[in-house]
Amino acid sequence: MSARRLQGGSAPLRLLPGALRRGVERFAGRHQSLAVLVGVALVGAFLPVIVGVPPFSGFGNRNDFVDGFANAGVFVLLALGLNVVVGLAGLLDLGYAAFFAIGSYAYAYSASPFSHLDVPFWPMLLVGAMVAATFGILLGAPTLRLRGDYLAIVTLGFGEIVPVVFLNSDTYTNGTNGISAVYQPSAYGLFGIGSFGFGNPWPYYVTVLAIVAVAMMLLYRLQDSRLGRAWVAIREDEVAAASMGVNTVTTKLLAFAIGASTAGLAGVFNASKLSLVSPDQFGFTVSFTILAMVVLGGMGNIWGVAIGAFTLYEVQSVFLKQLTNFVHGIHLPAVDLGFLRLDISAIDFVQYQFLLYGLALVSMMLLRPEGLFPSRERKRELHESAEEAAESNEEVVQA
Amino acid sequence: MRRRPGRALLVPAILLLLATLDWSYMGTEQFVNALTIGAVYALIALGYTMVYGIIELINFAHGDVFMVGSFVTYWLLSSLGFNGTISDLPLLVVVLVGTFLAAMVVMGGIGVVIERFAYRPLRNAPRLAPLITAIGVSFILQNIIQIFFGPSVISAPQVMDVQARVNLGGVDVSVVKLFVIAVAFILMIALQTFVSRTRMGRAMRSTAIDRDAAQLMGVDINTTIAVTFFIGSALAGAAGVVQVLYLGTTNFQLGFQAGLKAFTSAVLGGIGNITGAALGGFLIGFIEVNSTVAGFSRWSEAIVFGILVLVLVFRPTGLLGQQLGERA
Amino acid sequence: MKLARVGAALAIASIVVGACSGSATTAPSAGGGASAAPASAAPSAGGGASAAPASAAAGAVDVKIGIELPLSGADLPNGEPTLNGVKLALAQIPVPGFNVTLNVQDDAVNGVHDPQQGAKNIATLVNDTTVMGVVGPFNSNVAMAEIPIGNAAGLVQCSPANTNISLTKPEFGALDLRKTNPDKIAYVRVATTDDIQGAAGADIAYTIVKARKAFVIDDTETYGKALSDQFVATFTKLGGTVIGGSSHGVPKSGQGDFTSLLSLAKKDSPDFVFFGGVTATGGGLLRKQMVTAGMGAIPMGGGDGLSDGAASVKGSFLNLAGDQGDPNTYMTVAATHDIPNPTKLAADYKAMFGAEPGAYSASGYACAQVILEALKNVGGDRAKVRAYVTDPSHTYDTVLGKFQFDKNGDTTQRIISDYTFDPGTKDWKFVSQKDFGAG
Repeated sequence: MSARRLQGGSAPLRLLPGALRRGVERFAGRHQSLAVLVGVALVGAFLPVIVGVPPFSGFGNRNDFVDGFANAGVFVLLALGLNVVVGLAGLLDLGYAAFFAIGSYAYAYSASPFSHLDVPFWPMLLVGAMVAATFGILLGAPTLRLRGDYLAIVTLGFGEIVPVVFLNSDTYTNGTNGISAVYQPSAYGLFGIGSFGFGNPWPYYVTVLAIVAVAMMLLYRLQDSRLGRAWVAIREDEVAAASMGVNTVTTKLLAFAIGASTAGLAGVFNASKLSLVSPDQFGFTVSFTILAMVVLGGMGNIWGVAIGAFTLYEVQSVFLKQLTNFVHGIHLPAVDLGFLRLDISAIDFVQYQFLLYGLALVSMMLLRPEGLFPSRERKRELHESAEEAAESNEEVVQA
Repeated sequence: MRRRPGRALLVPAILLLLATLDWSYMGTEQFVNALTIGAVYALIALGYTMVYGIIELINFAHGDVFMVGSFVTYWLLSSLGFNGTISDLPLLVVVLVGTFLAAMVVMGGIGVVIERFAYRPLRNAPRLAPLITAIGVSFILQNIIQIFFGPSVISAPQVMDVQARVNLGGVDVSVVKLFVIAVAFILMIALQTFVSRTRMGRAMRSTAIDRDAAQLMGVDINTTIAVTFFIGSALAGAAGVVQVLYLGTTNFQLGFQAGLKAFTSAVLGGIGNITGAALGGFLIGFIEVNSTVAGFSRWSEAIVFGILVLVLVFRPTGLLGQQLGERA
Repeated sequence: MKLARVGAALAIASIVVGACSGSATTAPSAGGGASAAPASAAPSAGGGASAAPASAAAGAVDVKIGIELPLSGADLPNGEPTLNGVKLALAQIPVPGFNVTLNVQDDAVNGVHDPQQGAKNIATLVNDTTVMGVVGPFNSNVAMAEIPIGNAAGLVQCSPANTNISLTKPEFGALDLRKTNPDKIAYVRVATTDDIQGAAGADIAYTIVKARKAFVIDDTETYGKALSDQFVATFTKLGGTVIGGSSHGVPKSGQGDFTSLLSLAKKDSPDFVFFGGVTATGGGLLRKQMVTAGMGAIPMGGGDGLSDGAASVKGSFLNLAGDQGDPNTYMTVAATHDIPNPTKLAADYKAMFGAEPGAYSASGYACAQVILEALKNVGGDRAKVRAYVTDPSHTYDTVLGKFQFDKNGDTTQRIISDYTFDPGTKDWKFVSQKDFGAG
C-alpha cells in the first residue's frame, strides 16, 4: 500500500471527497489494470454525454466533438509516451515527433495505393509500435553517454532530420506531397461496421479509447515494475543508480523504446484516420506541444499527463476559438501606442496559442514545475533540490 | 614549461590547408559567401557558448534574441525614414554605428531581463526546468514579434549599397559581405580581449570554471552572469543588424533555424570555448555553402543537423573543447 | 488545495465565456441586415463589411455555404480576398426562397494552412446539415485531406485555387482520393492545373523572354516542386537547357538566404531564373538577392504563388523584391485574365471592402455563383446540389466567363494568363493568355 502512495496519487481522485477517494484508491491499488480500464471507460462514456449539455452543446454538434476527442486521443498517446522518456526516466527528448512520423509513415507505406500494399490496420498497430520502438533504440543509443542538455539537443537534431529525410525520399515517401488515400481501419462486419469510412467518428473514438486504455494499463504495470523503479533511479541520480547495479544502458534504451512505441501507435492511428501523411505534420511545434502537455499535466504521473494532454488539446481546438468569439463580441477599444497598434478585440487567440503555451510553460517552471497533477515524488525532487541549494548558498554566504 | 611549438600550429595549419582546397573547389565568390554566412553564425554562437560555459544552460531563446535584434534594426531604420541605400558616406557611417550600438544595447538589455526573471530563479533547479523555460521564452519572443509586426516576411531597408563591388585579385567581391566579415572579426577580437584581459572577463572565466570557488574569491556571481548574458545577447543583436544589412529581410520565425545552426557551431567548436564558437560558426557556413555547390541544397539542413548529432555523439567536447568532467 | 480552487474558478469562467459566445454561433441569422454568421472566428480587416444576404426574406429557408480557407497568419492574404469574393457574390445574387449565409472555417494553424485542420473543418461542415456546398480549400495539400471526406459525405467542394493535378486526374492518382464514391465526385475547381501552369511558365521563358538557359529553384513544397518539375520538363522539350538538369530545392525553413544558390547559378550565366513556390517561402527574397548578386538584369519567373498584389502591398512579391528587383519579372495565374467585367467587379469589391480585389476574389465569386446556381435549380438538398454542380453538361456563366466542369471536376477553362511587372503602375500587367484547350 505504501508503495502505491509513493508513486503519487492519481490525478482525478483528488477531486473526490475523502471517504470515496480512499475506497477507490484501495480498489485501484489492488486491481490496478481493472481500475484503469474502468476509468477510461467511464471517461469515454462521460465525454460524449457532457457535450450534449449546454454550454458545450453551443460550441458544435456531438459528432464534431467526438471527432475532436478521437484526435485528442492521439495526443494523449503521444503524451503518455513522452511521459515515459521525460517524466519517468528524466531524459529530455525534444524530437519526439520523429517517432510519431515514423509510425505514421510505417502505416502509410504499408496501406496505401502509393505502395500497392494493403496490410490491415490492427496488426499494423503492433508493427508500427515495434518499428517506432526500434528507432527509439537506434536514435537513443548515441545519446547514452550524454548529459541532460546534450541529450536534448541531439534528440532535437533527430527531430529535425527525420522529417527532412521523409521530405526528400521521393521513392519511399512520395516526398513533399506525402502519401494520401491511406486505407482506413476495418471492423470486418463487427457491430455492423466494415471499413471505418470518413463520416463517422465513433469507431475511431472507441478504437482510440481502447488503445489508450491498453497503453495506460501497460504503462502502470511498467511503472510499478523493476524497470519503472530503475527509470526513477536514473532520473534522480544516475551515478548512484549505476553503482547500485542498475544497468543504465538498458534502462535508458528501454525508456526510449517504450516511449517511442506509443508514438508509433499514435502515428498508425492518426495516419489511418486522416488518410494522409505528409512531412510538414511533424515539425518542432508538434514536439513542443507534446512536451507542454507533459509538463503541464505533471511529469511522471500517467493519468495527469493524459488529462493534461486532453485538456490542452481541447483548449487549443475549442476553447481558444470560443474565447476569440467572446472577445470579438465585447468590442474592446483598440490601444494605440504610436507606431504599434494593439487591437485586443481583433486578436485571434487561436493564432497565438504558442504564445500561451510559452507563457504557461515559463510560469509552470517558475511556480509549479511538477505540473498540475504532480506525482508526489517528482514534486519532492523538484522542490528539494531548490531548497538544498538555497541552504548551501546561505552557508557559503555566512562563511 | 616546454611545449612543442608544432602542436599549437597544427590546427590552424590544417584549417588553412582545408580552406585553400575548398577555395579552389568553390571559387572566390562562394568562399566569401561562406565566410559571410559563417560570420553571422559565429556571432550568434558566441552567445550560446558563453552562456553555456557559465551556467551550463542551453539558452533556447538565444536564436530568437537574434531575430528580435533584426526586428529592432528594421524598426529603427524604417522609423527614422531610411528606406534604401544611403549614398552619403558620413551619414552612412553615423547610421551604421548608431544602429549597431542601439541594437546591441537593446538586445543586451533584453538578455539581462530574460536571465533575471526566467533563468535566475531556476539556477539551482534540476537541469530540465530552465531548459523547458528557455523553450517557453523562445516561443514567447516569437509570438510577441508576431503580434507587433505580423506574420509575413518583412522586407527591410538595406542602407549599404548591396551592389557595390571591390576588386580582389581579379574577382569582384561585394563590399557588404566584406563589411560583415570585418565587423564579425572585430567583435570577436574585442570579446576575446575583454574576456582575457579585463577584471570582469576574469570573473567570467572563473565563474565558468568553478562557481563556488569564484564566489569565495569575491566574485559577484549575479552580476557576472548578467554581464555574460548582456554580452552574448549584444552579439546576437549585432548579428541581427548584419541580417538586415546583408539579406534585407527578417521574419518572426528566423530565430529557430538560425539558432539551431548557431548552436551546432558552438558545439562543433567546443561548447564553452569562445574561439571554438567562432571557428564552428565559420565551419558550418562552409558546410552549408559546400552542400549547395555540390548540388545538395535540398539537404543542407539535414547535413548540418547530422553533423550536430555526430559531433555530440562522438566528440561532445567539440574540436577545441576541453574534457568536461562528469557532473550530475 | 488553493490550486484546485483556482482551477475550479478558471473552469467556471471558461464555461461562462463559452456560453456567452456559444449562443451567438447557434442562433440562425434571419431577416434582413443579418451578417454572415461565422461559426468560428475569421479575423478580417474588412470585418465591418458583413455581407447582408441579398435574399434575406422572411419565411425563406436558411441554408449555408461553407467556407474552408486559410484565414489567419501568413496565409491570411490568400484566404481573405477569396472569402470576400464569396461575400460579394452572396450580396449581389439573390436566390429566391433561400436565405444564404456562410459557415466560415479557418484551416490555418499557427498561420500556415494545415491539412489536419482542414480535415477537421470539412467534417464540421459535413455535420452542419444546412451547409449545401463548400468554397475551398485554397491549398492543394489541404485538399488532399479533404476530398475523401467530402466525397464520402456527398458534400460538394468548389476550390477557387487548387492547382495540383493529383486532385482530379485519374491518371495521377485522383481515384484513390474519391474511393468511397468514385462516380459521384464531390470536388470541382475553377482554377486549372499545374501541369499547364508549369508549361506556361516555360512558355514565357522560351517564347516571350527568348531564354535558352534556365536555372530552376523550388521551395520543396507540394505546389512549388510540382510547378518547377513541370517547368523543367516543358522547357527542355521546347529546346532549352536547365542548369544542373533539374530543379534546386531550398530547405523550407531557411533564413531566406539564397546567396550561395545564386552564386552557383551565376557561374553558368542563365538567361532566366524560375522559382516554383510562393512569396512566403522566399519568392520575393530570391528576387531581391538576385539584385544584390548582380543578377538583376536576368528575368525571373514564377507561378501564381507570386501573384499577391502590387508593390505597395506589404509582404507581396513585388514589395519584397524591391524597386530594383521588380522589372523583368513574370508570373502566371491559373485562371483567365479576360474576365467579362473586370472594372465592375473591382469597383463593387472596393465599395464593399475598401481594397482592391485579390488574385482569387473572382474565383471565389465564381465558385459561389456555381453553388448558388445549383441551389436555384434544385433547391436546398445537399445531394442534389452535388449532383447538379458535378454534372458535366451544365454551363456556368460566371465572373470568370463561361465554363463547364468535366467529369473529373476540372474546369474546361484551361487558360493560363501571363503577367509581367509594369514599371508605370508598379503592379502586374497582363501580357497574354494561352488557352490550352480541352484537357
